Amino acid sequence: MTRGMLRPLALLVALSAPALAKGPKTGKPPEVSAADVAALASNELEAAAKAAEALGASPSPAAHEALLDALALGLPPAVAVPAMTALGLHPAPADVVALRRYAGHHTPGVRIAALTTLALYPDPVAQQAIIAGLRDPVGMVRTAAAGAAGRGRIKGAIEPLLALLAKGEDSSARALAQLADPDLARKLADQLGKVPDPSLALALGAILRRTDFGPDEARVEIVRAIAKIQDPSAVTALTDYLDATPKTPPRPSRGEAQLVVDARLGGK
Amino acid sequence: MSRLAALLALAVLGACGHASVFRLSSDENNAFALTETLKQRQLPAQPTPVNRSGQPRVFALTGGGEKTIVAYDLAAGNVLWKTDADVRSRIAVGGDFIVAVEGKQLVGRDQERGAPRWKVDLGGDLVGLAADRDRAYLVTKGGNTWWLAAFDGGSGTRLWREDASGQLGAPAAHGGVVYVPFLSQWLSILDGKSGKQLTRVRGLDEQISTLRVTSDVAYYGSRQGVFRLDERSATGKRDQATYGQVKVPPQLERTTYSPDAYDAIQQGYTAADRARVLWTSMATAAGPMKLLGDGFAVHYFRFVFGFGLDGQMRWAYSQPRVELVASEHTGNVIVGISTSGEIVALDPATGGVRARKSLGINQQVVGATFDVDGWSPSGEQGANETVATLVSIARDHDARFDRVKELAVIALAKQADPRVTGELLAVLSDDRAPQRLKDTVVDLLTARRDPAGLPVLTAQLAAKMDYIAGTEPDALAPVAKAMAGLGAPELVLDGKHVTAALAALQFHLDAPTTTSPELTWVIAAMAAIGHGAERPALISHFLLYHADDDLGSDAGWQKAIVTALATGATPADRAVLGYVAADPRSKPGLVALIRDTIGAD
Repeated sequence: MTRGMLRPLALLVALSAPALAKGPKTGKPPEVSAADVAALASNELEAAAKAAEALGASPSPAAHEALLDALALGLPPAVAVPAMTALGLHPAPADVVALRRYAGHHTPGVRIAALTTLALYPDPVAQQAIIAGLRDPVGMVRTAAAGAAGRGRIKGAIEPLLALLAKGEDSSARALAQLADPDLARKLADQLGKVPDPSLALALGAILRRTDFGPDEARVEIVRAIAKIQDPSAVTALTDYLDATPKTPPRPSRGEAQLVVDARLGGK
Repeated sequence: MSRLAALLALAVLGACGHASVFRLSSDENNAFALTETLKQRQLPAQPTPVNRSGQPRVFALTGGGEKTIVAYDLAAGNVLWKTDADVRSRIAVGGDFIVAVEGKQLVGRDQERGAPRWKVDLGGDLVGLAADRDRAYLVTKGGNTWWLAAFDGGSGTRLWREDASGQLGAPAAHGGVVYVPFLSQWLSILDGKSGKQLTRVRGLDEQISTLRVTSDVAYYGSRQGVFRLDERSATGKRDQATYGQVKVPPQLERTTYSPDAYDAIQQGYTAADRARVLWTSMATAAGPMKLLGDGFAVHYFRFVFGFGLDGQMRWAYSQPRVELVASEHTGNVIVGISTSGEIVALDPATGGVRARKSLGINQQVVGATFDVDGWSPSGEQGANETVATLVSIARDHDARFDRVKELAVIALAKQADPRVTGELLAVLSDDRAPQRLKDTVVDLLTARRDPAGLPVLTAQLAAKMDYIAGTEPDALAPVAKAMAGLGAPELVLDGKHVTAALAALQFHLDAPTTTSPELTWVIAAMAAIGHGAERPALISHFLLYHADDDLGSDAGWQKAIVTALATGATPADRAVLGYVAADPRSKPGLVALIRDTIGAD
């Protein structure tokens, strides 16, 4: 297929990646390994995966375009996964359309890779794809989407994450912890009795351990919220907080956590 | 006893000079004798009830513990009387009496008060009974002999008795004559007063095993069809007599024209009474039987359906909650009675309810005899809502009526009502609907090709896989298949509807959970209605999966996507197909299909 033939194709497909307009074997700048580009399009899957990694490691825009080309023209799952990971090594806005396409792939592993990579892009399209991934029927894909939502600080993911928390999905607890500000933390604390205790304890405990979360008055509120959780996971959450926090300078939240743990464990 | 053995026995008896009315050799199909017999009948000028008051009446038998006869005056809307009675047969209605087998006796009761008037021993096993205005007629069997006897309706005095060494069926009577099927071949017609055979008709190309007698017409025949008794009956042949067959849909397979005269069980009230063809006919001098209104009805348990002569359903009626246990065509309305004692009269042309009455009882009605010939209630209780009725039938969860539901959706699909597509889709969405019914609905939706239904189909696609909401696509493949049926060039689709439909279809095209069989129809639907607007989405999908081990190797998917892109392909489409055909990662089957479709270049 020639470049000239693919140009109208690119228009038709409306895949906005401009690289699609180029054939996989044509017109690459000299700093890109022609062997890697050829290998990426071959039916030798292992070699193609390695070529994807090599192209991703290259700082050359041409290498990035080669990856976009290959993704636009369709890669088998075994190659698509490393290709998307490689793409994320040097994120560019044009990547989002290609990644979103693979975020709906039939193979769960491909979706996981796409969602994980999309977390790198502060683009509404990427965020919507990640939020949609939270509704995926496959648990591992939801876990990946939750992780991406947390890393990407996607506020629009909070409601579906709370719904997943109610279903006891630990990945949503960790993601919510990453997203939490004092308001969200209070909202989470109010979920007591509405979501499984271990999941709530996990979420609140993860917020406590965040070094960027504060002020300490907010942490105190979280400690008190955890103290209301009767499940042993509450003690685990507070113990983890104590272990992760230096005794000095003294923090009221740590002091309260210690009191709760002592009371729960009978003064040990 | 086999029919041959009976015939042989009868032949021996005939040779011995036995003077029975019922003989193998006898004058039959005698046009003159038949004409004279027909003239002898004392029939009313207009259809009218047999009872002397001339008022429409129903005699219902209730069960559930003590059996009770409930006599009801339909014109006045009153119960005439009720009385406990161990009824073991149908009730036959005379002029001022009714008669039935109670226990082991034939009992005549005063029709106005219900009191027993006379009782006589059966003297054998019941085969059937009948009555006209003056007399009761009883057929019994003892050993190898059948007996037909007549009793005075007022006193119970036996007037005469005739024996037969061949099988007699249940009788019927009106106007002073009694009809008796004999050995499945003959319809013997006897003078009710004397017992003398007036004539007999022999069925030359059809058995005679059923009888239906109204106040002024006699019908006879079999499960295959019915003859109207007239001068042309003497031919004995379907094509030369006044003969009719109606087209009963196969889904109503248990339907019969009337009880089997040779089945003793059907001489009581049975479930067979709940599946009847209901009709009335006009006298004709030539040609086949002419049905009034060029149509007929079928009572089928809870339902009554009106049909044209072509077998197409005209209307449907569903009795709320309970079954109709008995029904009759009065000549003007179709009347039925339910197990709860509700009586409903339907307009035979429209199915509209003309009257609704109630026995006002707590017991369950197990059967009933109508004496309602000519009854024509003038009230209009409400127009028939055939679409709503068909929908209610289709959504009924009573597994006994799965075949009826099939008939209902078939009829529903033929209605022009804009609600139909949505209602058919609702059947697909019903988890409790049987799979066979859903398959039928899919075929109907596909065949329906209703452009106005496109938005309804699109709305159905809104159901998506969502783990959080707990939802999943609902009947995606059938809906897409129905959409694909809208691609015919003669169908004009609204551009906005198409745009919305394509967007909905593309969502499922791109969804990770859409299965290969579903994708096949989604792709076909997009190609059918898209007129090119679908190409970018299909090409993107094609490229994404052409090297996929699972979907890319799926023959159904390969065929669907290649066909969609190759049909009316632009140069760009051909370029894509060519690229995939040349890609070493493409699955062999896919490559071969592309080359077969667009050529090796």
